[in-house]
Amino acid sequence: MPEHKESAFDHPKFAVVGHPNKGKSSIVSSLALDDSVQISDTPGTTTKKRSFPLTVDGKIIYELFDTPGFQRARKVLAWLEGHDVSADKKYEVVQEFIHTFKNDPKFNDEIELLEPIMEGAGIIYVVDASKPYGEEYEAEMEILRWTGQPSMALINHIDEGDYTAEWKRALGHYFKIVRTYDPMNISLAQHISILESMAQLKEEWTDSVKSSILFFEQYYEEMFQESAAAIAKAVFDSVSLIDTLAFTSEKASDVEKKRLEENYKNRLRMIESSTQKQIEIIWHHENLEKDKTQLAFEELDLFSEESASLFGLTRKELLITAATSGAITGAGIDLMFAGHTLFIGGALGAVVGGVGAYFAFNELSEIKVLGQTLGKRYLEIGPMANRNFPYILLGRLIYHTEQIAKRSHAKRSVAEFEMDSKFKEKWLDDALRKSLESYHKKFRSGKAIDEKVLLAYEALINTVLHKLI
Amino acid sequence: MNLASYLDLYEVLESDNSTRNERRTFGLSHPELKEDPVEQLSAWANREKLKLKRPLLSETLSSYLYWVTLILSFLTFVLGVVSGIGLLSYNGHEPVNVIYFIAMVVFVPLVTMSLALLSMFRASRSQSMLIHLSPAFWMERIVALLPNKVKDQLKGRFSELKINPLILNWLVIKRSQILALAFSFGLLLALLAMVATRDIAFAWSTTLSVTPEAFHHLLETLSFAWRDFFPWAVPSVELVEQSQYYRLGEKLGDTMISHAALLGEWWKFLLFATLFYAVILRFVMYIISTIGLKKAIERSFMTLEGSKKLLSDMNEVNISTHASTIENNFSSKTVAYTQVIDRFDQSYDMALGWAIDPDKLKLINERMQVIAPNCYEAGGANSLEEDSEVISKCHGEILFYVKAWEPPTMDFMDFLESLLEKADKVIVAPIGTEQQAYVSKERDVNVWARKLFTLNNEKVWLKISSAQALKGEAENA
Repeated sequence: MPEHKESAFDHPKFAVVGHPNKGKSSIVSSLALDDSVQISDTPGTTTKKRSFPLTVDGKIIYELFDTPGFQRARKVLAWLEGHDVSADKKYEVVQEFIHTFKNDPKFNDEIELLEPIMEGAGIIYVVDASKPYGEEYEAEMEILRWTGQPSMALINHIDEGDYTAEWKRALGHYFKIVRTYDPMNISLAQHISILESMAQLKEEWTDSVKSSILFFEQYYEEMFQESAAAIAKAVFDSVSLIDTLAFTSEKASDVEKKRLEENYKNRLRMIESSTQKQIEIIWHHENLEKDKTQLAFEELDLFSEESASLFGLTRKELLITAATSGAITGAGIDLMFAGHTLFIGGALGAVVGGVGAYFAFNELSEIKVLGQTLGKRYLEIGPMANRNFPYILLGRLIYHTEQIAKRSHAKRSVAEFEMDSKFKEKWLDDALRKSLESYHKKFRSGKAIDEKVLLAYEALINTVLHKLI
Repeated sequence: MNLASYLDLYEVLESDNSTRNERRTFGLSHPELKEDPVEQLSAWANREKLKLKRPLLSETLSSYLYWVTLILSFLTFVLGVVSGIGLLSYNGHEPVNVIYFIAMVVFVPLVTMSLALLSMFRASRSQSMLIHLSPAFWMERIVALLPNKVKDQLKGRFSELKINPLILNWLVIKRSQILALAFSFGLLLALLAMVATRDIAFAWSTTLSVTPEAFHHLLETLSFAWRDFFPWAVPSVELVEQSQYYRLGEKLGDTMISHAALLGEWWKFLLFATLFYAVILRFVMYIISTIGLKKAIERSFMTLEGSKKLLSDMNEVNISTHASTIENNFSSKTVAYTQVIDRFDQSYDMALGWAIDPDKLKLINERMQVIAPNCYEAGGANSLEEDSEVISKCHGEILFYVKAWEPPTMDFMDFLESLLEKADKVIVAPIGTEQQAYVSKERDVNVWARKLFTLNNEKVWLKISSAQALKGEAENA
């Protein structure tokens, strides 16, 4: 085996190489969950190799290299083949090539991609099987064979066409592992499957790469938890939000009341938008561009009727939820009196809860005038009285999280969130609604909420996210 | 754990710009704190606060609260002394009615302590209806009383400061206990001073029909805490009988005067009642409120914005997949390549195909209705020598087919440059796949246009579709 520069304790390295514009950067971007990688249809976007290490507490588990595409493969191969050497010396010729042309701009791209390989990186050769196989690729594959490094091929599908069979036949001659991989639609399972293939490249790397699978699973779990925590906090902050507006006249005018209500709504909108941004950061989509004109989600205001009908409960569902919640409270009273109340408590609770919810379907919260006897008068609104609001906000945030979490890091197109009218049915059932209502009731109460309550609410949201994503 | 720790953490989290790595390093270097999140947060705040601008919010607010509490405590102490003196003042004619004093040192503390206990149970309620009793409201009032200089100092910092209502409630409860304790000490001092400096005739009197036995029973009940240890501090039935006086009788009856020494014995009971109800029980309330505040602060640590993230960053393994370097921005320029044709001529001197074999070239020529006497393949599986040979055969106008979907490499550009030395004109024609009937996509042709633009050679022409040509004309217009 060739003696490359790597030491016995070096972490595994993988160089993603190939023809220009075949999706190398997309693959690296999706494997490294990094949407900052420059991806374009212009060849030569990547001019320098770039390292993407998977580090765990500062220790590198493995390292991925994004590299420029081959530009003068035939010339490089011609130079290599000009040296008549046995197979065990071929890697030395490649090293000599690097040494000779290190400062020659003509071979900049080849040097950049060969360097990590000659430093011990395994080869991940990327092709686009949506386009036909061509003989021009053979020079590239032959060069890679000269390096003597373990290698695998990844078949990417950039476009609609499918030439996988012919590609597989050709790649089979050069690579012991050939896998298909769609960086635009990657799930954790696919990610893990590729890592498992990478682990097979070299025996010494197996443990390291397999341990990275566990870390990735943990990493995804952390993202789920952080998202659930952010959503739970947003719902709690919004429902318990109290806003005030001072006024000096004898009586608060309608304009002042309206202003307070608008301020209150704006603060709620702000909580939602900042949580959305937070979710995007959690899932490493910091550079996400959203279509603001076409995007129904952005256009669909938090307080619009459309939003309420898509994400909120129907009047009937709300009535049942409120009545059940009221009945539970009433049943508590019945229980205290060992049923001597003839269970009137439960029945009354259900009626009061149901009627309250029915008539407060569109109301946000009552505006109160406070501080009248102490000189400083002010209006106060909140906590949120509308029982439907937490479901609307929750639905919107869960929907946004689902879209973000499922979005590949390789995508650079503007995000267009297709509205799904059946989305609510996907995540909200009767049992969950009842559980959620018990938390929303606490949030509305104006009491400080115990950490454990919020954690339990988070756990509930986490379950929903796992179900959807 | 005190308010200062909470405020320190609040300020640290507000201005925190530590990296995930720094947080994790801290977590790993303090493994003993991992099981105690509050201590861990506190330790982090203690370290990070050194980087903050002085004075810290905690220093300003703690110092302010300290002085406000001290001044108020002094005032309530004085009030206690004055009240005590008032209650025990004896003009030499009318005896001092012990019921007033008992009410002040026993019943008032019991009522206020009950209210304090009730507020402790309701401390978690952030208020809405009881806004006037809200600690937040009183904090606002107190801040409003601050001198302008201090207000300016706090301005901007307090406007954003949101202390957990739980802490605010417990702060008020604890401070109420301190003030009540100061008042009790005032009463105690007044009692001792009055007893030491004056000869007071104590008596008891009430409009209600209370028999001395019943009153004695009440006093004995009140003395439950010390009657077994200090029986002399519990008034006897005899003393109670002898010290009762009536509004319509003599101011000081003969019996009372004859037992003047005995009437003075009341002070022992009053002293113990003050000590037990006003001081000791209040002190217990103070301890409870201190513990309550500490617990509230500990609970509030976890509700501070960013504290959970900080804990998770410190205790969860730090996994990073991102690039170690920042990539330079690549801007893909839109160029208008002007040397374009939208239809082929009928014939060319030669047809070349970049990685397209001659047989296929002939088929493509037929499809494009182009006549070219010679068709050659370049690039692809050709050797460099074979390419040179092809170039040596080239002359005149050359139609050069390329695979539109394969972006132009430098290998192609090198060949093209050599070709241009021999040819008069080269038409680069990006074609689509066989399945696409050799029709190229506009997107792919644009990639070729951008590359050819860099060559800047008047001999090189690009074949585009008619639709693309029309679009280009419209844009130019």
